[in-house]
Amino acid sequence: MNIFLENVKQFLEWSITKVPDIFERIGNFFSYFEITIGLYTFVVRWVFPILAITIFLRCILPLLQGRKRASAWGYLMMMDGSRVPLKHWENSIGRSKVSDIVIALPFVSRNHAVLTFRDRAWYITDLGSKGGVKVNGIKIEAPQIVNYGDTISLAGVKMTLLPADEEESGLLQQDDYTATLIPSGRLFNSSAAFALILLFQFLGVIQVMLAMFPEVNLAVTLTFIVFIFAETLHFHIKHWLSRKYLELELLCYFLCGMSLFIVSSAAPDLLYIQLAAILFGMLVYSVLEFMISDLGRTRKLKYLLASTAIILLVLNLAIGETRYGAKLWINLGFITFQPSEFVKIAFVIVGTAALDKLLTTRNMTAFIAFSGICIGALVLMRDFGTVVVFFGTFIVIAFMRSGDLRTIALISSGALIGAMAVIAFMPYIASRFATWRNIWKYANTTGFQQTRTLIAAASGGLLGVGSGNGFLASIAAADTDLVFGILCEEWGLLIAFIVVLIIVFLAVYAVFLTKNCRSSFYAIAACGAASIFLIQTALNVLGTVDILPLTGITMPFVSRGGSSMIASWGLLAFIKSADDRIRPDKAGD
Amino acid sequence: MKLLLRRAAILLFFSLLVLVGLVIFTWQYVNNSSTWVQHPANRHLYANGKPINLGTIYDRAGRVLLQMIDGSMSFHGDKTVRTAVMHATGDMHNNVETSAQMAFPDRLSGWNIINGIYRLKSRSGSGSNLTLTLDAELCAAAYEELSGRKGTVGIYNYQTGEILCMVSAPSFDPENPPDIDADPEKYEGVYINRLLSAVYTPGSVFKLVTAAAAIENIENIEEKRFYCDGKLQIGGDLVTCMSAHGEISLSQALASSCNVAFGQLSLELGPEKLQRYAELAGFNSSLEVNGIKTAAGRVELADAKDVELAWAGIGQYTNTANPLNFMAYMGAIANDGLLVNPRILRERRVLSFVNASAGENKQIFSPDTAKKLKALIRESTLSIYGEDTMRGLGLCAKSGTAEVGGGKRPHAWFAGFLDSEEFPFAFVVVIENGGFGSRVAAPVALKVLQAAVNSF
Repeated sequence: MNIFLENVKQFLEWSITKVPDIFERIGNFFSYFEITIGLYTFVVRWVFPILAITIFLRCILPLLQGRKRASAWGYLMMMDGSRVPLKHWENSIGRSKVSDIVIALPFVSRNHAVLTFRDRAWYITDLGSKGGVKVNGIKIEAPQIVNYGDTISLAGVKMTLLPADEEESGLLQQDDYTATLIPSGRLFNSSAAFALILLFQFLGVIQVMLAMFPEVNLAVTLTFIVFIFAETLHFHIKHWLSRKYLELELLCYFLCGMSLFIVSSAAPDLLYIQLAAILFGMLVYSVLEFMISDLGRTRKLKYLLASTAIILLVLNLAIGETRYGAKLWINLGFITFQPSEFVKIAFVIVGTAALDKLLTTRNMTAFIAFSGICIGALVLMRDFGTVVVFFGTFIVIAFMRSGDLRTIALISSGALIGAMAVIAFMPYIASRFATWRNIWKYANTTGFQQTRTLIAAASGGLLGVGSGNGFLASIAAADTDLVFGILCEEWGLLIAFIVVLIIVFLAVYAVFLTKNCRSSFYAIAACGAASIFLIQTALNVLGTVDILPLTGITMPFVSRGGSSMIASWGLLAFIKSADDRIRPDKAGD
Repeated sequence: MKLLLRRAAILLFFSLLVLVGLVIFTWQYVNNSSTWVQHPANRHLYANGKPINLGTIYDRAGRVLLQMIDGSMSFHGDKTVRTAVMHATGDMHNNVETSAQMAFPDRLSGWNIINGIYRLKSRSGSGSNLTLTLDAELCAAAYEELSGRKGTVGIYNYQTGEILCMVSAPSFDPENPPDIDADPEKYEGVYINRLLSAVYTPGSVFKLVTAAAAIENIENIEEKRFYCDGKLQIGGDLVTCMSAHGEISLSQALASSCNVAFGQLSLELGPEKLQRYAELAGFNSSLEVNGIKTAAGRVELADAKDVELAWAGIGQYTNTANPLNFMAYMGAIANDGLLVNPRILRERRVLSFVNASAGENKQIFSPDTAKKLKALIRESTLSIYGEDTMRGLGLCAKSGTAEVGGGKRPHAWFAGFLDSEEFPFAFVVVIENGGFGSRVAAPVALKVLQAAVNSF
């Protein structure tokens, strides 16, 4: 209340001093303009957080509320005549409570068998059960095709596979949507949320241009015109072609918009590159989403990506360029890129596995070997931040695949010892740790970035000083490493938090999707991609505000950097693919 | 998939850790951002380590005490005024810890947690304005009265808490700072605001604490008579008086500042009661003047022997007092036992009235006790200074001559208040190694009080 009055007071004071000004310099265009600039920022800095919070809520609520998939892929007719829907492409059957189809009989094994739909056919795989699996009375040794009408017997428990009948498959659980969530179908209209994002970006770009006044930078105007056009096009094509929820894309348009604002403040000359990266990223996203929609195709893609990744890493070590003490860049003459960013996509896809594989064998040798190569190469490149990202993601994927806490704990403690050795023997890393929680002591040396971030964040308050009015953006590499500080200073703590919460939301959303996912491939990929986003964000944000030691790492979608932006969009395709729920407005199609 | 959902919880756990990190950051932000923002590396406020954005400090009459013009600091036009209020405004290099510059940087830069450093810029400059309760002319008069002696003068309105006069000497002209190191004797503790941050042996002014305890704890104290033959024998030790006062009442004892009578009273009261009344009077704790903490005076009687207790009751032993705290105690006696916390900022924040009545003020003893004590002080003041001193303003005061040992002259104290609705002022004057309180400190206090009365 007090602060509100303070604002009113400021406004009155300001009016009192400005009104004579207007009369004094009547006819002077510039003075009018200066007044408008001041007043514009004064108003929009209250509007932005409100818009951002609205956008955030309108995007996350529909994504978390849709409950069940609309279709069953087939049915199992049990002996008592009940029909059990097969909700996934991979269904585990067994006595265990976490089986997708629970048969609570003592002679059925805990994880007895997996019924898998792939290449347009159903397969049954015995998970080494005691009672064995029979199809039409013949005991199976290897995964075997099950045709509709065939009888499967699990240790004597018989069931018949039936196809999903047409009327029911699409509309089976439609009631779930209409009754509980979106009564009118209009409550959460993604077009409205998109319009809010456009409004936010439109008001934002005016703020950026006014802050630059009297200098006029056409790059800013042009970049935003192209960006707004591109996201509108992308959104409408998606809206028309895809039957899925689109809020995920909306959140990323919002983040990309923030990254363009940051680059406008920090390095307007590099705006075109950032814009190109966003556009290319959207393309990569769409292509990758299409590629992995088919599991057979994905399996081929997996080997291709894995071998490309290894080649890239070797090339990087051989001909890479060193910047800021890390050898991360490959220069092709006309373009420079960071291979480790693209390796992230390969890393996630290599980590995935179908449920039958996952339950029959705990063998993760290939994945562990690939992780070892990636992490080893990154250590040689001295990119320790990315090492942590890969390792954290490795833990997530490995745990999802094996479910073995003890092994994970063992690997983690091994890694911890390794990390301590690295800290002890690398003076550059050791100094980071010495600075940690002592930044004010080293305010002009190793604590420079963190202290400046905190000073800038405090200067911004909750509402920010207005885009383009900050000082942090002029610090070297602020638009990659200190983006959180720039957001706090120029846009305010509220918007900075929303940006971080969007990334945290992606992780929660990936977990949420796991429940009704068609295949464990998509579930693991989504969680893997989300954990890369999450860990990168944690290291970036918490590192610059001195909660964690500082690591020079980018924030997905927000930091400046072409490779990072493209890789972020690529990883997003994995999260998107795990969600196969249908939008209410497309449910009738 | 249920199996995977369960295992995916590890990612939820990671998310939770990130949220915990954010919460810790938020906590630190809420607590420390006002400090972070004042760092000299903040280019919103500083250029090359020099502040570019500082508001103006005014006194209560709207006189500019400190201002920032085009990145350079300027003070009041008159040398005596700026020297007298130097401790209140602070100097150019932030040497005075308790100055307004150091204590209210947020107000001066216009920072708050919602708007940050953002301000709708007006032509009259940036930053915010700050109005102090001080009267600069009065401070200058007080500084002149000290005439080069070390010490402090304070006057405050015991009904509103506004500090009108706050002067500490030695001081210097902040516009032309002298070479402090060249004359360490002259500039001893020059950066310390003695009113807020110094403690001195109180001497006889402490008798007002002992008297309060006696009024509340000894029956028929008004009728009680003391016998003084110039010395009080306690075991093998002596408490001595200036002269033999003979048979006297409490008010006569106070007027003649009889050590024997107050020594006896202290023994009668005992260490616990005296300790309790000392603490009620503000000893062993500090006040907060708009968040600026004062130094705390000390009274520790737990291990005192009888003779030491007697000396403590007359303001010697290990007792120390902070001038501002003692002035607030004077104000409380005048204000029916209600101690109104002194403040230095003129404008109250909108929300502060809510706290003002509850948090800042303290009823230290009953109005009845206050009235009795007031009458006692008034009676003794009249007997010494007569009706003509501050005629019609109800001067109530006590002098103190605090022995400091080491062959040095005693500190001269003079503290009290005007029992007047129109001029509700409490005051304190301390002159370091000045000599007799009534001869050295009292004239200073009376002149400054007269100036205060004339200007309001």
